[in-house]
Amino acid sequence: MGAAISMFVFGAITAVLSLQLPLGALRMPGSGFFPFTLGLALMALAAGHGIQLHLARPKATARQDSASPAAPEGKGATRRVALFVAGVIAAVALLQPLGYTLSSFLLMLALLQILGIRRWYSSLAIALGSAVVCHIVFVRLLQIPLPSGWVF
Amino acid sequence: MVESLQYLAEGFAVAMTAQNLLYCLIGAIVGTLVGVLPGLGPIAGIALLIPATFGLNATSALIMLAGIYYGAMYGGSTTSILINVPGETASVITCIDGYQMAQQGRAGPALAIAAIGSFIAGTVAIFGLVLIAPPLARAALAFGPPEFAALMVFAFVVLSNVTGKSLVEALMMAITGLILGTIGMDPVTGNERFTFSSPYLLGGIEFVAVAIGVFGLGEILVNAAKPPAQLEQRVLVPHLRDLYPTLQDLKRSIGAILRGTGIGFFAGLIPGPAPVIATYASYAMEKRLSRHPEEFGKGAIEGVAGPESANNAATQSAFIPLFVIGIPFGPVPAILLGALLIHGVTPGPLLISDSPQLFWAVVASMYIGNFILLLLNLPFVPLFANILRVPKKVLLPLIMLFCVTGMFSVNNSLLDIWMMLGFGVLGYVLRGWAYEGAPLLLGLVLGPKLEVAFRQSVMISHGDFGIFIERPVSLTLLLLTLGFLVFPLLKRAWELLRPTAGDGATPGSPQ
Repeated sequence: MGAAISMFVFGAITAVLSLQLPLGALRMPGSGFFPFTLGLALMALAAGHGIQLHLARPKATARQDSASPAAPEGKGATRRVALFVAGVIAAVALLQPLGYTLSSFLLMLALLQILGIRRWYSSLAIALGSAVVCHIVFVRLLQIPLPSGWVF
Repeated sequence: MVESLQYLAEGFAVAMTAQNLLYCLIGAIVGTLVGVLPGLGPIAGIALLIPATFGLNATSALIMLAGIYYGAMYGGSTTSILINVPGETASVITCIDGYQMAQQGRAGPALAIAAIGSFIAGTVAIFGLVLIAPPLARAALAFGPPEFAALMVFAFVVLSNVTGKSLVEALMMAITGLILGTIGMDPVTGNERFTFSSPYLLGGIEFVAVAIGVFGLGEILVNAAKPPAQLEQRVLVPHLRDLYPTLQDLKRSIGAILRGTGIGFFAGLIPGPAPVIATYASYAMEKRLSRHPEEFGKGAIEGVAGPESANNAATQSAFIPLFVIGIPFGPVPAILLGALLIHGVTPGPLLISDSPQLFWAVVASMYIGNFILLLLNLPFVPLFANILRVPKKVLLPLIMLFCVTGMFSVNNSLLDIWMMLGFGVLGYVLRGWAYEGAPLLLGLVLGPKLEVAFRQSVMISHGDFGIFIERPVSLTLLLLTLGFLVFPLLKRAWELLRPTAGDGATPGSPQ
């Protein structure tokens, strides 16, 4: 149901924003015409889908109980994904100030820890190794102008 | 036909240059890796490697990217057979009998028959391509904006009909993609749309960011969500000496391979995720035709041979609509279209006549690529299988790092990385809702083309929508579209009226 509501809201936002653009006429559609139509279509589909889900609700929950073993882990999964994404966000934010090589080392270190590598020295070695290899391949060999920061 | 074969021979001459052979080989190897690695399918893999082709000419670039595409298809089957994890959706079916064979100690013959079947399918498909592409291009020359608009609408509806579980959900994804495609400059008037005054958004949403985000990062996050204990699988690495199938294996497979090739080739010509449909159809057909259907699901070699051949034939024939009409019918060709545009090549009815060298060299390289993959896969499969022994908790951070680095190198832009992250989270959420990313990506890539075709059509007709039904080709396409929209409703109504009817008609799905 959350999905249908999100889709409806996205369609509504699109339609409203499109109204600020020139809609034009049918013989000469303006910039807003196409997105406005799409927004309306998305709202209609999402509404229809929401109603469809609502009507089918009792049956659907009964089926879900028997066939979704993943559900009880939902909370832990969200926590793990949030941690993982947070680690990536931090590393990307540090890309400019710290430079590519150092932040890729930190990214690896953080993600390895989050995914549960137990021994800190293995994480350290893998992270160091990948940062060095990536530095050699992407910065030295392929010469991608990655941010160099203060260190490398 | 004779003329085409002559061009094809010239294509082979271009593709056989040392430089292009090297790019073909690199593409095939990288593709196999992409297919084997978790979290990287052909879509994210090709998107990631587009920047690596910037320094090449368009022909070499496309040879390499196409190599990645079918290499990934091969690699995907390897993981299906060895660890019961499909590398991409087209090898889901291979899991059923392939993994069973592996558990009975017959991983080698399963892998070998997949490679041999794919090679035969590739060989047949190339002749189909030679036969069909040039006349189709001549026919498509008569297409005007209304035909193109109708064809794209048709493609969206058919793709939505065959992906995922619900037509409405898939259509919502397609429309979301189309909406995202309107961000940036209006292709007709040049007005800014939804840019929120940001110069970054003026050029539109970077489709590589969406592709890597939704398909690559989304998959990484799904894996990261699993508890550490569930992350790793047992890997069965076959020995080289057990690799070769017996004569009886070959005898049992040859029919399945040829039928799979036929199904796959035609599936590639219609809109939709052709390789996926082709594998399902081929599996269902083999099971029905078999004299011992009870073996299916327990390690029947036909269940590997048929779908794998179908998969490869569809992969190749899916290039036909992309090259000849200029409209990709599935997500991977959509990515390749983006790559072609970056290299200044606009595929369409004129491509074959305007740049025959590029077209035929790429076709020839597909054949060479298949041969390379056959050589690469038979002896080196144990090597690739060893990659699977690297724990996922090490692979996932590494792939994440590659995604960040690769995304940056497309435009040397940090904003692209943020965009990719955003779409990665979206991809994860969509997977939670069981929504498909393919229609979204296709919508994003085709959106501007559809809008231009639509607006040009109504401008030609001065606002008369009759233009879409007065022209026979667009009328036919729209009627077919209507059929695809109405048919599920009719089927639904039929099921409601007859509630006792069973739903056992669907082909077996893994577990």
